[in-house]
Amino acid sequence: MTHLRWGLIKQQMSVQFLVRTMNPLSLGLFVIQPAVFSAVGMLLSRAAGNSTPDLVYSVIGGGIMGMWSGLVFTSTFDIAGDRRNGMLELIVGSPTSLNLIESIRTFTNVLSGLFSLVLAFMAATFIFGYSFTGVNTWGVIVSLLLLLFAMWSIGVFLANFLAWSRLSGTFVDYLEMPIAFICGFMYPIRVLPVWLQHISGAIPIRWALEAMNESLLGSFDLKYLTIHWAMTIFLSLVLIAITTWMQVKVHDKIRLSGELSSI
Amino acid sequence: MDSFAIETKSLNKVFITKTGFWKNKSKSTMAVEDISFSVERGELFGLLGPNGAGKTTTVKMLTTLLLPTGGTAKILGMDVVKQTAEVRKHIGFAFSGSRGLYNRLTAFQNLKYFAELYSLKDDFANKRIPMLLDLVGLADRADDRVETYSSGMTQRLHLARALLHDPEVLFLDEPTVGIDPVGSRDLRKTIKNLLSLGKTILLTTHYMAEAEELCHRIAIVKKGNIVALDTPDALKRRISGESVIEASIQSDQIQVLIDKLKVLDQRTVITHDTTTEPEKLCIRTTEPGRVLELLSPYLNPQYILNLEARSQTLEDVYIAIIQGDQA
Repeated sequence: MTHLRWGLIKQQMSVQFLVRTMNPLSLGLFVIQPAVFSAVGMLLSRAAGNSTPDLVYSVIGGGIMGMWSGLVFTSTFDIAGDRRNGMLELIVGSPTSLNLIESIRTFTNVLSGLFSLVLAFMAATFIFGYSFTGVNTWGVIVSLLLLLFAMWSIGVFLANFLAWSRLSGTFVDYLEMPIAFICGFMYPIRVLPVWLQHISGAIPIRWALEAMNESLLGSFDLKYLTIHWAMTIFLSLVLIAITTWMQVKVHDKIRLSGELSSI
Repeated sequence: MDSFAIETKSLNKVFITKTGFWKNKSKSTMAVEDISFSVERGELFGLLGPNGAGKTTTVKMLTTLLLPTGGTAKILGMDVVKQTAEVRKHIGFAFSGSRGLYNRLTAFQNLKYFAELYSLKDDFANKRIPMLLDLVGLADRADDRVETYSSGMTQRLHLARALLHDPEVLFLDEPTVGIDPVGSRDLRKTIKNLLSLGKTILLTTHYMAEAEELCHRIAIVKKGNIVALDTPDALKRRISGESVIEASIQSDQIQVLIDKLKVLDQRTVITHDTTTEPEKLCIRTTEPGRVLELLSPYLNPQYILNLEARSQTLEDVYIAIIQGDQA
């Protein structure tokens, strides 16, 4: 790509919103599901002896769950849907690379998922009356941006993997909950066994999320935050590099196996 | 400049399917065995063949959607495997059916979407899309969602999509499947117009009349191989020494009649068409007098309702070739 194709970005994003996001299913995905997660988080928090629901791990954690589930679901649905309705082969058969299309779509999906997080913040503020005084605002903003970047890098990686074969959607479904659990979406990661913490160390979301949670809890420890941000960037770039390396192989593999179409 | 718009040499495609719980067993399926042909620029070339003959697989290899297992294929002199990106800029393709469009978008939005995929400039796309919608007769429905379209309209929209970037070579895979006769006729007219614009078209179809009307040359594909390749007239001349006799019959008496015809020479081909009411026996033979002699005692409402002799059509040639005796 010699120049940024703004027209393509605008077009892909608007079609993605129109076709995938703006439907009743999204209400469940981005609103109801995170609300259920938040409610369960609050109940567990109360059962653990806390008198008030925990802001970071219950309320915001529910929003993060919504973002993540939305990303996995829409990424899977994008490829499976396109494969089913014959769009995948038309996209692959065009001069624009599938990877570029998936990058834009995933960006749109991540932005759509952000809606869950915004709702979670609103719920925390207006329903549960949390005050955000003492919060490391810049830490939260930088961590959130890096969290979006990390989610995007995973989303693009998953989209590439999903294009690989008709069966890969099933494997991605298996990953949804385990990744949420080992990255500590709804509880501090330190409660997990050390070996699980090591595994989650390979996932960029975990680092951005830890930095965001610490910032929300009022930490201004720049060294801690910098390490977490650096790890997020490094691991995201590793995923992007793997995706870039994989895309040629995926492009050849799907044309060899004839799996561009579901029929 | 390469003189051929499309050229294939010993094109071959084998699909390997992994089976078993651990996917440790593999099964090969030969979809295309050995396809070689060339298409001149500005020519309309037809690929005919039964389901599973390898027509669509061939088209998908030529449109870079499938990688060949062996052989070579070139579009405008460019190799479909080595110069994939370049080939894609110069070809357009439309497959049959309602798939391949976003149903929740309008026709205009769908075309705009594809215009971006083909890097068309906004002002060019904004002029070309209405022009193409007009060409395929959808101008008045441009702002309606595709989900409200009939099969014929969807098919015409596919054609408009394939033409968006003004490709030199066009691949149309069964473009009139599921379209009513009037829609088919309009689509054939559009295809003829494209020819007059100098496009090269490769068409696959099941409809012999369509192939006969449109194609300059036809290749008949059977089990992944080309078994005949010529102009429609030349193909018909292959069996010009034969006559076709069609008998409308009572279905419960079919075996009696077939048994009577067994005395005819080995070259006689009898096909039983159960899709019509009443059912038909089609006898292609070099001994028409003998056939009439054998069947005339049965020309009564109990056996044969109607008996007629007619001239050869491309369909007769196709059936003869596909059934193996003329390959």
